[in-house]
Amino acid sequence: MKKVRMQEYKQRIDNALSTPRLQEALHRFGDAWAKAREDAFLGLDFEALRAEIAGCKDEVRRHRERYLSEFIRNAENAGARVVRARNAEEACRYITELARERGVRTAVKSKSMVSEEIHLNKALEEAGVRPVETDLGEWIVQLAGERPSHMVMPAIHMFRQEVAELFGQVTGQPEPPDIAHLVQLARNQLRGAFIEAEMGISGANIAVAETGGLVLLTNEGNARLVATLPKIHVALVGIEKLAPSLEDALRIIQVLPKSATGQPITSYVTWIGGAVPCGEGDKELHIVLLDNGRSALAESPRCRDALRCIRCGACANVCPVYQTVGGHVFGHVYIGAIGIVLTAFYHGLDGAAEIVRACIGCRSCVSVCPAGIDLEDIILHLREVIAGEEGIGAGKSVVFKKIMRNRRLFHGMLRTAAILQKPVTRGERTIRHLPLFFSGLTEWRTLPAIADTPLRDSWTKLPQKVENPKARVAFFAGCLNDFVYPELGEDLVTVLNRLGAEVIFPEEQSCCGVPASYSGDRETASEMAEQNVRALLSEKPDYVVTTCPTCTMALQRDFVEHLKDNPVWAEKARRLSEITFDVSRLITDKLGGAEVFQGSGGDLTTYHDSCHLKRGAGVWREPRRLLAASGRELTEMAHADRCCGFGGSYSFASHPAVARRILEDKLTDIEASDAKCVAMDCPGCLLQIRGGLEKKESPIRAAHTIELLADTFRR
Amino acid sequence: MPEENRMKTFLEAAGRSGAKTVFCSSPAQAVSYLRDHSGGSILLPSFSSSRRLGLAGLLRDAGCEVIDSDFRRQSAAAAAGLTGVNFAFAETGTLVLESTEEPVRLATTLPERHFALLDPRKIFPDARSAAPVLRQLQSGTRHFVAFVTGPSRTADIERVLTIGVHGPREVHILLLEGLSDDPLEM
Ligand code: SF4
Ligand code: SF4
Repeated sequence: MKKVRMQEYKQRIDNALSTPRLQEALHRFGDAWAKAREDAFLGLDFEALRAEIAGCKDEVRRHRERYLSEFIRNAENAGARVVRARNAEEACRYITELARERGVRTAVKSKSMVSEEIHLNKALEEAGVRPVETDLGEWIVQLAGERPSHMVMPAIHMFRQEVAELFGQVTGQPEPPDIAHLVQLARNQLRGAFIEAEMGISGANIAVAETGGLVLLTNEGNARLVATLPKIHVALVGIEKLAPSLEDALRIIQVLPKSATGQPITSYVTWIGGAVPCGEGDKELHIVLLDNGRSALAESPRCRDALRCIRCGACANVCPVYQTVGGHVFGHVYIGAIGIVLTAFYHGLDGAAEIVRACIGCRSCVSVCPAGIDLEDIILHLREVIAGEEGIGAGKSVVFKKIMRNRRLFHGMLRTAAILQKPVTRGERTIRHLPLFFSGLTEWRTLPAIADTPLRDSWTKLPQKVENPKARVAFFAGCLNDFVYPELGEDLVTVLNRLGAEVIFPEEQSCCGVPASYSGDRETASEMAEQNVRALLSEKPDYVVTTCPTCTMALQRDFVEHLKDNPVWAEKARRLSEITFDVSRLITDKLGGAEVFQGSGGDLTTYHDSCHLKRGAGVWREPRRLLAASGRELTEMAHADRCCGFGGSYSFASHPAVARRILEDKLTDIEASDAKCVAMDCPGCLLQIRGGLEKKESPIRAAHTIELLADTFRR
Repeated sequence: MPEENRMKTFLEAAGRSGAKTVFCSSPAQAVSYLRDHSGGSILLPSFSSSRRLGLAGLLRDAGCEVIDSDFRRQSAAAAAGLTGVNFAFAETGTLVLESTEEPVRLATTLPERHFALLDPRKIFPDARSAAPVLRQLQSGTRHFVAFVTGPSRTADIERVLTIGVHGPREVHILLLEGLSDDPLEM
C-alpha cells in the first residue's frame, strides 16, 4: 500500500517536471501576483491586519458552539433551513435526497472548495442529477474530467488551446483558441444551464453569526446567478467560515481579495440572508454546515491555527515546490501548504503522507499568509505524526537514534568518511562525479568534499589576535561549517577578532538536530538540544554566534520548544536563545556595526537571502549593510529571497529532482543580475549555489558573507 | 476624508475597476445618456428615487423601450438594467445595492449593461465606515445586499483578464444630485 502510494507519487512528480510549460505558467503567475499583492497592501499594516484575522478566527474556534447556534438561530429566523453534517457522506446524502424530493435534474454550481472536498459532483451524478460548474475555471476542469490545481485559479494548469478543444466538444464544432471568444462561448453556453436548473449550489466565504447571513466573493458574477435564478439554493459551508460580527466579515472582505488576486475588492460581494423572494414565491435556502474533521482540527493544539485559513491561495503562489510541480502533485483537494494540513484532517493522514515530505521548509508561505498561520511548523508536526505511524525508514532511524545522538561516534564517522571519499574526490575540494547510483546527485551540482581536518580539530591552532577582548563569543559551527567548510571558521575568527571579540569553540557541541526533526524524529532532536545547551552554556560566553541560519533557528527557537517541559533545561534553553545571534546581526547590533569595514572597489555583488535567515531570524538588511560597508557595490537579483532548493536531505534524498529545478531558477536569477559574486549567509545555500555554478562552469563566485568580510582585512 | 477628496477617490477607484462614471446635471441629462447608451430595452425595477422622478415615463418619452414588469420572462432579452444605489465606498469605487427584491437582482446580473444612479451625497469613505448602515440593511430578517465594483471579470484562462463573463460587461455610474440622501433607500 505504502509502496504503491510512493511510486505513484514519484510518477506524478516526474510527469510534472517534464511539463516545463506548466512551470513557466506558474512562475509567471507567481511574479504577477506578487506585484499585484504588494500594491494592494501598500500603505496598510499587514501585520496588524493578519493579527486581526487570526484573532477573529481564534475567537470562533474557541467558542464555536456558541457562534454556530447564534448563526443557526438567525439564519432560521430569516427563513433558511440549516443542517449540520458531520462528514462528507452526511452532507452529500442531504443534498442528493433534497434533489430527489424536488425532482431536480440540473444543478448549477458556483465555486466551492467544500464541494470538491466532499466529492459532491460524483454523488449528484450517481443520484441522476447533472451538476454544471459555472465558474469558468471550474467548468473547464469539469469538462476535462480533472480536479482544480489551485484554490483560486482552478484551471491554472491549462492553456487556451486545450480549453478551445474542450469547448469544441461542447459545441460540436472547432473553436478558435481566442480567449475573448472562449469566454463569450462560456457565457452563452452556461446561460442555458442557469435558466434550466432547478437547484443552485454554492459555497460561502463567510458565515456571519450576528446576522445569520452568508457572504460570497466572486469576480465573474456566477454566484449571484446561482443564488438568484433557481428556486432552491444550497450553500455548503465549512464551520470554520464563521465570523462573529459584520465588522469581522468586512475585515475578511478587505483582506481576502488583496491576498488572493491582488485586487482591492472582488467585483461582487454578495450578502445573502434567508429566503429572499424568488419568482412568484420565496426561495428555498438550505445551508449545510460541514464539520468533516474541523472539530478534530480545533482540538489539535499544534495544528488548530490552520482553521484560520481564508482560502486565498497565497501560500501556494509563493511556494517554490508548488511552482515547480503544481497543485496536482503538491496537494490533494486543497493545495499548497494549507493543502497538506487540511488533507491530513479532512481526507486522512494517508493522503497527506507523501506531500508532507514535499515541503522544503522555506517559510515563504508563513511570511505571506494573511491569517498568520505558521504553516511550516504545522507541516513539521504532521511529519512527526506520520513518522510515528509509519516510521521514518530504517536507514534514517539508525542514523538519528544510534549515531547522531552519540557525538563521538557521529564525528568519528564523519572523519572516516573524509578518508573513504578520497577515491572520488581525487584530492580536490569538490566532488564532481559519484560512482553508480549516487551519480544523480552530482549531475547538476558539484558536491564539496568532507574536509580532511574538521574545524574542531584545527581550532586550537587558530591564533586569536585580540587583546583585552570586549566580548567572549562562542561559535556554534553546525555540521556543514565544522566538517565541510572549516575555513569559514577561520574567517569568522579573523573578523570577530578585528572587532575586539574573542571566539571560543565549545568542543562538546554537536549537530543542531534539525535533520532529525525535519524527518519527524523529535526524540533525537530533543536529545541534541539538551547536549548543545549544556555544551554552549558551560563556557559562559557573552554571545553565541552561528554562520548557519538553520542552526540559528535551532538555538533561538527549536531548543526552547523541545525543552520547554524539561524542568532542568527549559530555563537554560531560554537563556541560550537570548544570547544567540547570526553573525551579521551580532556584528551590526553588538560589536560596533558596519563602520569598521570601510572598504571600496569590491566586485559587483548580489545577495541571496537564506530562507531561515530572512523569514526565520528576520535578518536581511544587516548582511547587505555589511557588504556595502566593505566596499562592494550591491545589486538586487529578482526573487532574492526565493529558496535555492537545498533543504538538507530534501536535495540529497527525498526530492533531488525538485531541488534541482528550484536551483535552476535561482541560478537564472543570479546570472541575470550581472553580479560577479553572490553572497549568502548559509553553508547549505553555499553548497547548493556554489555547486550549481561550478557545474555550469560559471565564473560567478559564490561566497559566505563572513568570507567576503574577512577578505577586506586580508586585502 | 474631506468631501472633494472622497469624490476624487471614488472616481479614480471606480475607473480602475472598469466602471464608467458620468456626471449628470439633471434627470433629463441622465435620460438622454441612457437613451444613447442602453443599446436596446432597459429593465427598470421599482425603486424609490425612480418612482419620485417618474423615470419610466421620462424614458419612454425619450423613446426608450422600458421593461418594468414580468421581469423573469423578459430579462434574458433586455440590453440593459437600470437601478439606483443605496450608497457607495470611495476607497474601492464600490456600489452597494439592497437587492432583496428579485427584479433588482435580475436587472444587475443578466443584461450586458448596468446603469446605476448614484447621489454623490451617499459616498462613504470605505466599507468599515458604512458598517452601521450595512447592519441596518441586514437587520430585517431576510436580505440580499450586493457590493458591485466594476463589471464582471475573469482571469481563468491563462490568467488573461477578460471582462463580462457572467454578469454585466459595462457598468455606468450616473452621478446625479438630489436623488436621495438616505442610504437605506435606493
Ligand atoms: S515552507 Fe516553503 S516549501 Fe514548505 S509549503 Fe511553505 S512555501 Fe512551500
Ligand atoms: S493558509 Fe494562509 S495563505 Fe494559505 S490559503 Fe489559507 S489564508 Fe491563504
